[in-house]
Formats: sequence, C-alpha cells, structure tokens
Amino acid sequence: MLPIDAAAHSSRWRRRHPVDKAVLGLGLTVLAISLPPWPGAALVLVTALTVLLGPAAVPRRRLWRAYRVPLGFCVTGALPLLLQVGGPDGFVTLAEGGPVRAGELLLRTSAASLGVLLFAFTTPLSDLLPRLVNAGVPAPVVDVALVTYRMSFLLLDSVRRIREAQAARLGHTTRAATWRSLAGLGATAFVRAFDRATRLQAGLAGRGYDGTLRVLVPQARISARFTLASVALLAAVAALTFVLERPLR
Amino acid sequence: MHIAEGFLPPAHAVAWGVASAPFVVHGVRSLTREVREHPESTLLIGASGAFTFVLSALKLPSVTGSCSHPTGTGLGAILFRPPIMAVLGTITLLFQALLLAHGGLTTLGANVFSMAIVGPWAGYGVYRLLRRFDVPLMVAVFFAAFVADLSTYCVTSVQLALAFPDPSSGFLGALGKFGSIFAVTQIPLAVSEGLLTVLVMRLLVQSSKGELTRLGVFLAGKRSRSGTNGTDATNQTNETNEANETTGTVTR
Repeated sequence: MLPIDAAAHSSRWRRRHPVDKAVLGLGLTVLAISLPPWPGAALVLVTALTVLLGPAAVPRRRLWRAYRVPLGFCVTGALPLLLQVGGPDGFVTLAEGGPVRAGELLLRTSAASLGVLLFAFTTPLSDLLPRLVNAGVPAPVVDVALVTYRMSFLLLDSVRRIREAQAARLGHTTRAATWRSLAGLGATAFVRAFDRATRLQAGLAGRGYDGTLRVLVPQARISARFTLASVALLAAVAALTFVLERPLR
Repeated sequence: MHIAEGFLPPAHAVAWGVASAPFVVHGVRSLTREVREHPESTLLIGASGAFTFVLSALKLPSVTGSCSHPTGTGLGAILFRPPIMAVLGTITLLFQALLLAHGGLTTLGANVFSMAIVGPWAGYGVYRLLRRFDVPLMVAVFFAAFVADLSTYCVTSVQLALAFPDPSSGFLGALGKFGSIFAVTQIPLAVSEGLLTVLVMRLLVQSSKGELTRLGVFLAGKRSRSGTNGTDATNQTNETNEANETTGTVTR
C-alpha cells in the first residue's frame, strides 16, 4: 500500500464522510489559488498545517515525505520566473520583481498542496471512488477506477519483488543489464495485469457477474456541524486576508 | 513532469479543464459503450489502467545519466487507443495526485490535456502514419513513444508560458525559458522512453501475442488499407506474419 493511502486508512477522520473532508481540504486549496498570495496563501498554509498536525493528527514524518515531492516540482517550476529573456541589458538577465513573483508562486503552490494533502491523508480512495456515482460519474468508469485502484497495489508489489529478484541476479550491474531488466519488468507487469484480469473475470463469471461490481462502502453521514465549522474557518481565513492585505503591503 | 497543485492561476486551470472535457467525455462514452456491450471488459480496462499507473512509477535511466519516469502514453495509446487512454490517463493522474502527491486537482485539466490527450493522440498518429507506409513495427513503436513523450512536455511548456509570460519578451520568451528547462532536457528522456517501449513491445510480442491480437495492435497499420475487403482469415494471416517479422520466428 502507498504511504498516503495507508495513513488515510488509519486516520483519525477515516469514519468521516468524504464530503466533510472535501469541503475543508479542497476549500483550502481553492482559497490558496484564489486569494492574494500574501497574506492569503500564507494564512491558508498555516491553517492547513495546523489542521493536519492538530485535529487530523497526520504523522509529521509521513507528511513531510509526501510534501517534499510537490515542493521540489514547485521550486523547479518557479526558477524561470527569476530570469527574463531579451531586453536592453542582455539576452538573459535577472527579471525585475522576479524573486517576488517566484516567492508568491511558491507560497501559493505550497499552500494549495497542503489542502489536497489534508484531503488525501484522511480519505482512502476506497471510500471516495464508490461515492463518485452519486456525483454523476458513470458507473462503468467508477468500476474501472475501482479495479485500477485495487490492482495497482498488487502490481506495484509484483514489480517490487521482480526488481529485487533481478537485482539478486545482478540484473542492475551494467547499463545494458539495467535496460534489459527494466524492459522485462514492464512486460511482466503487462502480462500479470492481464492474467489477473482474466482470472478475476473467470471467478466473477462463476458468481453470476452481471457487469456491476458491488463493493461494501463504510457507512458515514455528512456532518452538518463539521461542514459548517469548515465553511466558517474558510470564511475567517478569507476575511482575515482582506483585513490584513492593506496593512501588510 | 506534472504541473504541481496550485501552480496555474484559477482562470487557466478552468480553461484547461474545459479544453480537456470533450476528449474525456468522448473517452467515457466509448468506455461506457464497450463495457455495456462486453461487461467483462471492465476488468481488462481496469487492468490496463493499473498497468499505466505502474508503468509511470518505473524509474527510467536517462541518456544523460539522470533518472526519470516514463509517461507511458505512447505504449498506452498503441495498446488501448487514445479515447480509452483519455479516461485511463485521467484516472491515473487523479490517483497520482491523491496517492503520490504528483500533479494536483486544480491542475488536473492541464495535466490531462498534455498527458492523456495530446501525448496519446500525437504518438498514435505517428504510429498509424508509419505503419501505413510499411515501416517496421518496432521503428513505429519507437517513434510513437518518442513523439508522445516529447509532445507531452512541449504542451506543458506552452501551458506554463501562457500562465507566466516573460516580463520582457512575453509568451515566446517564456516558452523559450520553460521549453529549455522541460522540453529540451526531455529529449534524452524521450529517447530513453522510446527504447524502453521497443524493448517492452518485443517481449510482449513474444509472450503475449494473444492479448496484443485481441487489442488489435497488429492491425493498426493494416486496417485502413484492407478496409471492407479484409476478412478475419486475412487479418489473422497479417497478424501472424507481423508477429513473426518481429520475433524472427517461422510459422509452419
């Protein structure tokens, strides 16, 4: 199982309805990209971090391991904003106001990423996917997504074991061997995926498969109190941003 | 490289979502029709989605010595066709955003447009074109994967340049900046992905000829020419010859 999904399954908010957590987590993300980066995104960042480490009780180390991935992408993407092409001073020069723009972008992306992580770290995909039918996603697409989700873990596990076996047979000692091993890995993943699908199909056919995959979804109700509190928190962050915007500029 | 969460301004995020929607809706309708006609396809398409997800998690050694991961869009488009790839790519990108913190939900539309629409369609277009001119299967597979990978990153550069134009030279200057960072450094990786895809396809032709035939991989170049005259027997002969041409075996 992947670390974020594993943490979501043992989350303190696991039993909450996904809508509750979507309002809070994705609401923070929307605020992060909609409000002025300073002080709006900074406030969103602090709020998301407080909720993640406080009420949601997400382990710090796991959060950092997941968070550093988007941070790396954000830094790489913000670097070009420091430079400008053309102009009187040379072909490539430092852009005027570039550091401010790059800083604002970093603030916005890091705050928005925390909002999504709040949702991801508290909501297992197995709770979310079956409920997408109620949101209007066609049932066949949800079924395909469910099969993809469940089979991904098995395939990732197979790939890890095959890679270990290849390494034990000196399959990664030279560049040529690495390429051969990698190709074998990809092809074996394909063969195993289709083999597993064929066997699943045979098993389901024996149980009267009619084209729909019924799965048990943990019962949960949308909490009006939680949702209202989330909306109030989001409104407070937005209001505070507009109050602080002028004095902090 | 996925566009990270919150990287695009809201208007751009919405616009790319709107641009992607018709392709994804078309893919969803194709998939729904397929599943209604053949309920057992749910499992095979789900398995294809899992394969795409796992493929994108493989570490790929670059020609320059660095390491990256394949987009998998070229191989996916050849195996499963671009409309299905639009749906599988969207599901994969959603999983990557929520399970791996790669990409994001507000940038899902932009990432879908580059990785699940332009990449597969460009790669599949090149594959069909080369196969129509009787270019060997593996050469066509290499160029399909190369073009799919490179076009994905070129589109990502365009998306970023539109969102963050250069203060002095505008869109073109920004395209040069993002292009030099993403697209140009991506050329060695596109070559790597092309080579890997050829190696994977060679093994698949040897070990999973039945599955590839069922997916219609061998017919991609022949279908358009054989048209209505093509019978099942003719197609079967074509497939066998195609596979033998690739593996170097002789059918007796």
